[in-house]
Amino acid sequence: MLESAQPAPRADAGVGWTPFLFLLPFLLFLILFWLVPLVGGVKMSLQANGLGQAEYVGLEHYHALAKDDRFFKAIRNSFGYTLASIVVIVPLSLWLAHLLRSTFRRLRPVLTFALLLPALTPPSVLAVLFLMVFHGRNGLLNQLIVLPLGQAPINWLKDPDFILAGLMLQAVWRWTGFMTFFILAGMEGIPRVYYEAARLATGSRWNHFWHVTLPQLRPVLLFVAVYLLVDGFSLFSGAYVLLGGAGGTADAGLLTISYVYQKTRFFEYGTASAISISLLPVMLTIMGAFLFLRRRIA
Amino acid sequence: MSQANPTQPGLLRRVVSSLLLLPFLMAVFYPFLWMVFGIFKTNREFFQPLRLWPMKLLDSEYWSGIADTFFPNEFSMQNVRDLLAGKWVSFWDVFGNSLLVSLGQALGAVALSAMAGYAFARFQFRGKRALFLLAIALILIPRQLFAVPLFSWVNALGLSDSLFGVMLPGVVTGLGVIYFTQVFRQLPEEYLQAARVCGAPEFRVFLTMLPLVWPALLSYGMIHFILAWHEHLVPMYVLTTESQQTLPLALAKLYDVSQRTPQGVQMAASTFALIPTAVLFAVCYRKFKSSLSEML
Repeated sequence: MLESAQPAPRADAGVGWTPFLFLLPFLLFLILFWLVPLVGGVKMSLQANGLGQAEYVGLEHYHALAKDDRFFKAIRNSFGYTLASIVVIVPLSLWLAHLLRSTFRRLRPVLTFALLLPALTPPSVLAVLFLMVFHGRNGLLNQLIVLPLGQAPINWLKDPDFILAGLMLQAVWRWTGFMTFFILAGMEGIPRVYYEAARLATGSRWNHFWHVTLPQLRPVLLFVAVYLLVDGFSLFSGAYVLLGGAGGTADAGLLTISYVYQKTRFFEYGTASAISISLLPVMLTIMGAFLFLRRRIA
Repeated sequence: MSQANPTQPGLLRRVVSSLLLLPFLMAVFYPFLWMVFGIFKTNREFFQPLRLWPMKLLDSEYWSGIADTFFPNEFSMQNVRDLLAGKWVSFWDVFGNSLLVSLGQALGAVALSAMAGYAFARFQFRGKRALFLLAIALILIPRQLFAVPLFSWVNALGLSDSLFGVMLPGVVTGLGVIYFTQVFRQLPEEYLQAARVCGAPEFRVFLTMLPLVWPALLSYGMIHFILAWHEHLVPMYVLTTESQQTLPLALAKLYDVSQRTPQGVQMAASTFALIPTAVLFAVCYRKFKSSLSEML
């Protein structure tokens, strides 16, 4: 679905202002509620901290951030969290979609719906249900997996080695079913003739998957990856309920957006904005990579 | 769209696939069952230690113990009544606010994005590429990153503590624009020609096209509704009065340990929070999936 706006076929191209009239409401809201806050964020990041402060301080906040270990930790955590969830979710949902295609036809919608239920649940509810799964000693995960393996129970939300892993597991639990649904829809859109052609060449199902299904799914997979990427960087609710807006023990679960939130709680609006703005080059690089990949695919 | 099933899988394959899916289903579904049964439990029942791993596999005492802790002792509606009566949060206000905000956002986003998508798909104009890139940038730089300047701007517009302060920023979406660009590009050109021959103004042509793409309108509206229903950060800054708040904020308050809300009430609120999106998705499931298949 994420294809470029190639020249569209149109008979009479001399349209004057008409396209802009169609774009007007969107552009108006875009400027009002995205561009203005964005510029406001840049401005705020150059001003002193505190409520109602307008004193210009130049790049002071950025200099401070460059020396702030917690800032780099938050960025590292966000990247690790996001990449790990993509690396786990994409192959897993490919496999699940494949399994769903091979089940009984009648069962397929029911199973798909059941799998994507977590994506429909508000993230804070998910976080609470997840507390049960992780909750210290008595959680499901400990009882079902860790203890039977003869290990000491893990305190998932307190042990700095496991906090981030817990957040990632939550992302996997939340999104895998939803992405499976997208991939399944993509698989069902692949024209049957491709498989018939492939069957003439080889009988191996693995080859069909590798040479027909996967290449055809590239746009969907790209979409899924971008979706997870953006969600990974804007995740707030889940971490907020699990860790109370903080980073947990030794900041092991500190995400960029929670760090921004922490700063605003102490009215350090300048610093908070500087953190957000420093993510812009990162996001623009990702956008460049995405556009490059999309062209390669198309 | 044609059916892509390479070969109808054999019976054995279908059974094995279903069995392989079973553990995933359980992992996904178990917490939700636990949530629903939790509504009827007292705090004491809720927190009783749950031994989940049988020391002896055929220990009947163990299995009956599981059933005792998993199911509530009695199905009392007290927690639901307390919640709905507004004993902990003004639940109906908050629920209504959430519905209003999410519906408003979904309708607004569909209208704006469908029009913009139509322009991108059907016209050549100067600056088209730059504007399209802007829509992609909009996806990658979500407004959650700029919650604070957004909040102070919304404040300056006089929309603080108003549902419009959440709804209006929420209608801008890059994903929607790109989605509808794709949707309108796939409409056969003949339809447009036919509409234009009648000499209709372009906006009329656009309106005549809408019924042809209604599954796409519905699908995107649903997705946006779900995103809006889950939105936490922006409402947290904008909405301060309790009766003006939305569901995620009320939930966070109920979950807060210092509030000492009974677990059953928390579970009741969680269940109610899931119902609208789950019902909406279940109803739209087929339309959504086939509209996606055609496009992907």
